[in-house]
Amino acid sequence: MLAYQLKIAFSSLRRNPVLSTLLIGGIALGIAVSTAFVTTYYMMASDPIPAKSDLLFAVQLDSWGADEPFDDERPEEAPTQLTYRDMVSIMESEIPTHQTGMYKGQLTVHPESETDRPFRAMTRLCFADFFTMFDVPFVHGGSWGARADSGPEPVVVISKETNQRLFGGGNSVGETVRIEDRDFTVVGVLAQWRPQIKYYDVNNNEFGESEEIFIPFNFNRPLELYSSGNTWGWKFYPGNEYDDFLASENVFIQMWVQLDSERQRAEYLAFLNAYTESQRELGRFERPTNNKVTPVMQWLDAREVVPDEAKLMLIIAMLFLIVCSVNLIGILLGKFLGRAPEVGVRRALGASKLSIFVQHIVECELIGLLGGVVGIALSGVALKLINGLFSDGVFVFGLDLNMVGAGVILSLVAGLLAGIYPAWRICRVAPATHLKLQ
Amino acid sequence: MIRIQNVSKIYRTEHVETHALSGFSLHVEPGEFLAVMGPSGSGKTTFLNVTGLLDSFDSGTYHLGGEDVSRLSDSEMSRIRNQKIGFIFQSFNLIPDLNVFDNVDVPLRYRGMAASARREAIEEALEIVGLSSRLKHYPSQLSGGQQQRVAVARALVGTPGLILADEPTGNLDSAMANEIMDLLEKINEMNTTVLVVTHDPELAARASRQIYLLDGRLIDMESHEAAAPLYTPAKAAGSPGAQA
Repeated sequence: MLAYQLKIAFSSLRRNPVLSTLLIGGIALGIAVSTAFVTTYYMMASDPIPAKSDLLFAVQLDSWGADEPFDDERPEEAPTQLTYRDMVSIMESEIPTHQTGMYKGQLTVHPESETDRPFRAMTRLCFADFFTMFDVPFVHGGSWGARADSGPEPVVVISKETNQRLFGGGNSVGETVRIEDRDFTVVGVLAQWRPQIKYYDVNNNEFGESEEIFIPFNFNRPLELYSSGNTWGWKFYPGNEYDDFLASENVFIQMWVQLDSERQRAEYLAFLNAYTESQRELGRFERPTNNKVTPVMQWLDAREVVPDEAKLMLIIAMLFLIVCSVNLIGILLGKFLGRAPEVGVRRALGASKLSIFVQHIVECELIGLLGGVVGIALSGVALKLINGLFSDGVFVFGLDLNMVGAGVILSLVAGLLAGIYPAWRICRVAPATHLKLQ
Repeated sequence: MIRIQNVSKIYRTEHVETHALSGFSLHVEPGEFLAVMGPSGSGKTTFLNVTGLLDSFDSGTYHLGGEDVSRLSDSEMSRIRNQKIGFIFQSFNLIPDLNVFDNVDVPLRYRGMAASARREAIEEALEIVGLSSRLKHYPSQLSGGQQQRVAVARALVGTPGLILADEPTGNLDSAMANEIMDLLEKINEMNTTVLVVTHDPELAARASRQIYLLDGRLIDMESHEAAAPLYTPAKAAGSPGAQA
């Protein structure tokens, strides 16, 4: 029966191409706008690591001064980064399944070829667990080991792009890369890895690209590498040496742990609280205990990674789709009621009200789907325009299968919304009324 | 086949009540060929609509083929229309976008028959009305008589027990009208009950029984004779668009 209903619907659309184009165009416009904004929202708000997002926790210790909170607008918030010495201390814990402190810096890479000029590479200093915790994919080799962390050993993981740039894209594991004034051995080459949101470090351009090279954290001291991201402090520290900076109350390190159970989480929080109590005895941690471990999605929410404007635009886009659909109600009503004599004949020949209703809903859904196809294509164009708004080009919105699916569902909903009243009206037409009048 | 007892149907507007059928009773045996006559406004079409389950009625009872169809759901009535009743209309009522084959196919589609069974039934029905060679023609490519023959095939195709024809010859010339009546007689000979509303006494005379409606009531011959001043068959007969 559905095949027959579809046949009738196609025939109806062919009967009046201008009207059909108008109807399909109306839906397409609504779908284009709504799909584009749903996509931007989805890419900003979706879970970046669904398999583990409940197990990975950002760590916060409120090491800020007593005079004022870390965030004046949200005084309950602890600093979103740690001091070096706090990170080093809590990394001693054996409670987490995995853990890593990290920060980003910039280092100069010297290509082997004399024709290639040295370049500044965005670098992440981290522990080996970083790669395991965040499911970082490798195309060659893998992470360095724990011994390289403690050494530290001069090993490096490079991104796919860096591998292309330095080694032409081949398997470069075992090759040497000169970084600053020393040689590092490549132990791993990443596959394409670009989390849509750089959730492991939302303090420093959450929409930015992932780093070009990764080296063991403990090279921070030999390289005397300051953070190239945000460094916040509340207390003047004496001295100009790098060690003075490391001993200061400045926060610049992101700290993540993997806790696989509630019990583990409770134990770890107790450990953090005990640690801050011990520090309080040394005159630090002047504020009330406010240590937190926050899972990924709550962390992104608390950091307001998805701007309110994106949410507002999503609502406006949905309203726009509703307006487009509602506008089509009148056109569909006229089209359907103009077909009342034919409906009368079909009713006389055995079509029930339900069958007539379904027939017209199928037609509306066909209009919706055709509009959806055009609309989804147009939304691709709209997304290109939105991408253009990000002048640095680092954030790229694009349609994936989920979004195409969402567009199709939206188009079906729009077709239903536009068609349900006209279909209801036409199915209630008394058949006898029109049989004499044809 | 049809047992209608004391059926009344009133059309109401804000200010006016029109008694289209008043205490109407009728009994039709299976296989009868019945002509329904009466002046415009006498209730013929209302009677046909009620009999064909296209319209409801206010009081009384109606049994069709032994089944009480007085108060059925829409889907039940649709099923009965589809399986037990065939309709033929004055203005043919073919669907202009569908070719002859697809027009005749419409009632079978609502029956959920397999494609091969539908094709067989359609070809047989078109064979009966002599239009086997016009399967792919659209209604606009056919003469009035041919269109009505397609409508007859559409009414026949589901092998209903009852054919209701509302002035089937009203839009046709006399030769075509006779062809259609020939077809209806042929259908009736296949033991199908046929009810024809007509203004044409000559065509009505070809039926096995004639009934007369006046002011929504069935009247007997004597009453009809008495009512003759109100009804002028010669004037009404063959006038296109004349309605009950």
